[in-house]
Amino acid sequence: MIDTLFSGLIHGSAYALVAVGMSLVFGVTNVANFAQGSLVAVGMMIAWWLGSSLGWGIVPTLIAVIVVSAILGLVLNVAVISPLEGRKPIAALLATIGVGQILDNGLQIIFGPQTRPFPKLLATYNYQLFGVRFGTSDIVMVIIAVISMLALWAFLKYGRIGQAIRATSQDPEAARQMGIPVKSIRNISFVIGAVLAGISGIFVGLFNGNINPTNGGTIGMTAFVAATIGGLGSIPGAVIGGIALGVVEALGISWFGDGAHDLITFGALLVILILRPQGLLGKNIDVKTEPLTGTFLGGGRPIVLPWWGNVLGAVALLATPFFFNDYLSGVGTQIAIYAIAAVGLTLISGSAGQTILGMAGPFAVGAYASAILTMQLKWPFLVALLAAGLIAALAASILTFPVWKLAGHYVAIATIGVGYVMVAIIRLAEPLTKGSLGIQGIAFPSVFGQSLYTQQMQYLLDVVVLIIALIIVSRVRASHLGHVFEAVGSDQDAAEALSIRTSAYKALAYALAAFFAGLAGSLLAHQYTYIDPTIFNVNMSLLVLTIIVMGGMNSPLGAVLGAIILIGGPELLRFATEVRVLLYGVLLILIILFRPQGLFAKKV
Amino acid sequence: MTLASITKRALVVLTAAGVLSSLTACGLNGDNAGNSSAAQQSGTVNIGVIYPKTGQYAEYGKLFKQGFDLAVAQVNKDGGVQGKKLGLKYYDTQSDAKQDAAVAPKIASDQSIIAVVGDYASPASSAASPTFQQAGLVHYGFNNSASTFTDTGDHVWTPQIGQDVYQKANADIVAKHAKKISVVYLENDWGKQAYQYFKEEAEKQGVDIVYESSYLADSTDLSPILIPARDAKPEAIVDIGYGPDGALVLNTLRDKLGYTGEFFGGQETEEFLSLAGKNAEGTIITGSFSAEGTKDKKAQQFVKAFKAKYGTTPGNFEVTAYQAIIDLAYAANKEGATREGIQKGLQTITDFPLYQGDGGTFKFDQKTRRADNIKPILLIVKNGKFVQYNGD
Repeated sequence: MIDTLFSGLIHGSAYALVAVGMSLVFGVTNVANFAQGSLVAVGMMIAWWLGSSLGWGIVPTLIAVIVVSAILGLVLNVAVISPLEGRKPIAALLATIGVGQILDNGLQIIFGPQTRPFPKLLATYNYQLFGVRFGTSDIVMVIIAVISMLALWAFLKYGRIGQAIRATSQDPEAARQMGIPVKSIRNISFVIGAVLAGISGIFVGLFNGNINPTNGGTIGMTAFVAATIGGLGSIPGAVIGGIALGVVEALGISWFGDGAHDLITFGALLVILILRPQGLLGKNIDVKTEPLTGTFLGGGRPIVLPWWGNVLGAVALLATPFFFNDYLSGVGTQIAIYAIAAVGLTLISGSAGQTILGMAGPFAVGAYASAILTMQLKWPFLVALLAAGLIAALAASILTFPVWKLAGHYVAIATIGVGYVMVAIIRLAEPLTKGSLGIQGIAFPSVFGQSLYTQQMQYLLDVVVLIIALIIVSRVRASHLGHVFEAVGSDQDAAEALSIRTSAYKALAYALAAFFAGLAGSLLAHQYTYIDPTIFNVNMSLLVLTIIVMGGMNSPLGAVLGAIILIGGPELLRFATEVRVLLYGVLLILIILFRPQGLFAKKV
Repeated sequence: MTLASITKRALVVLTAAGVLSSLTACGLNGDNAGNSSAAQQSGTVNIGVIYPKTGQYAEYGKLFKQGFDLAVAQVNKDGGVQGKKLGLKYYDTQSDAKQDAAVAPKIASDQSIIAVVGDYASPASSAASPTFQQAGLVHYGFNNSASTFTDTGDHVWTPQIGQDVYQKANADIVAKHAKKISVVYLENDWGKQAYQYFKEEAEKQGVDIVYESSYLADSTDLSPILIPARDAKPEAIVDIGYGPDGALVLNTLRDKLGYTGEFFGGQETEEFLSLAGKNAEGTIITGSFSAEGTKDKKAQQFVKAFKAKYGTTPGNFEVTAYQAIIDLAYAANKEGATREGIQKGLQTITDFPLYQGDGGTFKFDQKTRRADNIKPILLIVKNGKFVQYNGD
């Protein structure tokens, strides 16, 4: 018991170190930096290269990592984040996702994909306590975490630049009027955050022992959870949150096994958000700026086609399956399936202005529901399809129910947790879902007795469902309900003042979005004929969200266009396999920088 | 841009795409409703490869490619397949089900492709199988040991030793060494199924499993499950997983938790050996091939050619990839270098050259579409290398 606790403490301090950097950037720039984990991976890989290939010691390695990270942080802010200033912070968040993709993939291209041992820059297992060995590296890691916390706290509280940073974060306009060079201050914040990430990379590498260039994503996600548990923006909170998460994970895993890992980590996130949304050490103040909400360019209006345009488009779309070859139809099914989920998401993330980062959850529920209903209860496909949507909407609504009382960005964070928890439950509900084994032998979709066994037939079905989804969503948008969603999205306070219960309407919009994600999941399951929990990962959630960013967050037709680009794009980019994902990230950033309202929307 | 011009443009693009593709297809019945004779005229036939060139499984993709490239060079040196040159068409899928499903129709519609090999992981492979099955194209999942893999249809085959056979051998050797064990295994379709088979056989052999837990592939600290695994005082600890996670389990046990007992697990890759370093010494796994230990003549030749081309010693991943191409070429030479020929070959030929196990030849069980008689062998790490182990 005590040994488990102790090992949890050590692991927790590794989380803490990364979380401090995350919380700092969030606190002073209001940007939830999803590239922070990738910056950690950059530090880790550079230290690996210097330490093992060149045989450098800890001190020169540390200095080199600091220099490189600082430059990277500066470039990141100047090139990507700072041009987005004044926009809704969701734009910066999505841009950091793009940066993360570029860094992760870049590291993999530069250093090769294999997992490798991290050089022993410091002794790693030279002490023993409670039957667990630890090393100088762990002690130094804890010391650095504590020192960086204290130093940052003192710097922000008493230092001249530190005070300027705080002033900038509270009110950039006022700070500018007081003569604070806001631009340089933001640069400094990002540089400090990046340097912290780089340094933690060295210690995370020492702690993990075996490292891989693609570790950044997981590192960033857990650090984000740790920072949220401690209180986003609070630097001592990040340390407490990191250690708390380490201990909770160690005890939970020790009791339930590592198969429940995700459930424990993200379950802890949900519990803390529901009980104490501001985190363990966060101050309970009204969130004025909501870094993860908003339609990111409020003025963006979807381009509306005249009725004959819509009809022509629908007819053209319906005609494609009849003359597309297998390959085009195959890509078409993927595009249509993701488009169905994305079209639904425009209701909640576009109209009602609530970013959802966990759509893989309802997607998975729909896929499993449909597979189980058709295989075990022998329901006909079309009935199962509809049921899959309803079950996904129901499951998503129940799990998200406690979340809607939260304010602002906490909802978006909670949806990350809900997405993970849903898939984790599917993995653990083994008697029903076969857990990690996956379900095989799902029948092709069959409509009125006709099995849809070719790509073209499935594509036609997907297109029909997509068009129905587009009609329903457009109808909803044009209705009174749609206008209420819009009201909630454009000004929550004003909507409340008109006695609109904003959280109830958000919940409704989310349920509708989950319904369409469930339909998409069902179509996917019957096309793959095989599903398992690893298919429905965080990348799927981010992909669906990115699709609507690309097309225009409140434009259903834009969602279709976004799906064509983002799902069809990788196929077009197949000639450049090595840099495919990297180009993806670049594309995302370019869209956000230069056409923030999305491709299929216009500015007003 | 006005609305009308956008619409017009979209329609033009759609029409153009339609006209282009309608040259090769019509109606909803798929490209293969007709016949594949058109492509038979050219001098090259291809094998489609779906594999992880990038992404988390890229290490395996690299090993596979070495085996494929060597095999194709060998086949063409020996005169190709029925006078035609054999080629490979590579498709990077990152072993991701979504990408497998998306690329499968492209492969199926390419009439120069007479069979498909890959992917690394069974979920990804299985997402592509239905498309190949429907196109009458053999899907040769040479690395897919999941017992349900071939259930999709009669064109889905695998020469991979099933996990039932592997894990029986694994449990038998563990039982020889220890009667009280702790087991950890990878929480995915493969690990879960492998552990079921392992447990069944271990219990039959009277082995007492005193602790068991699964773990997720991306977990970085496994102490919470390995502490109780150690504290259960087992005579041996068994890990059923891949290479990187196997090394993590082993290193945590040895370095962090001071465990000194026997360890069974890991994977026959350079990656595992370099990650586990000294800790790997004495580790025993089941495999199907040992470059040093093989007594089969053609396998020894393969090892020699492999070393000459790449400067490294081939392991299980390289040899199964190599053998996959050789098998398909053998079928093509006997029954025709067409999709139908390959399928017929797999159904009728009973003497496929075997490079793994004890060498010789193998055939397929026509019910399960799995290789009938490939025997697993045992491997042990000695002086930083996997060598064949006779099981004493």
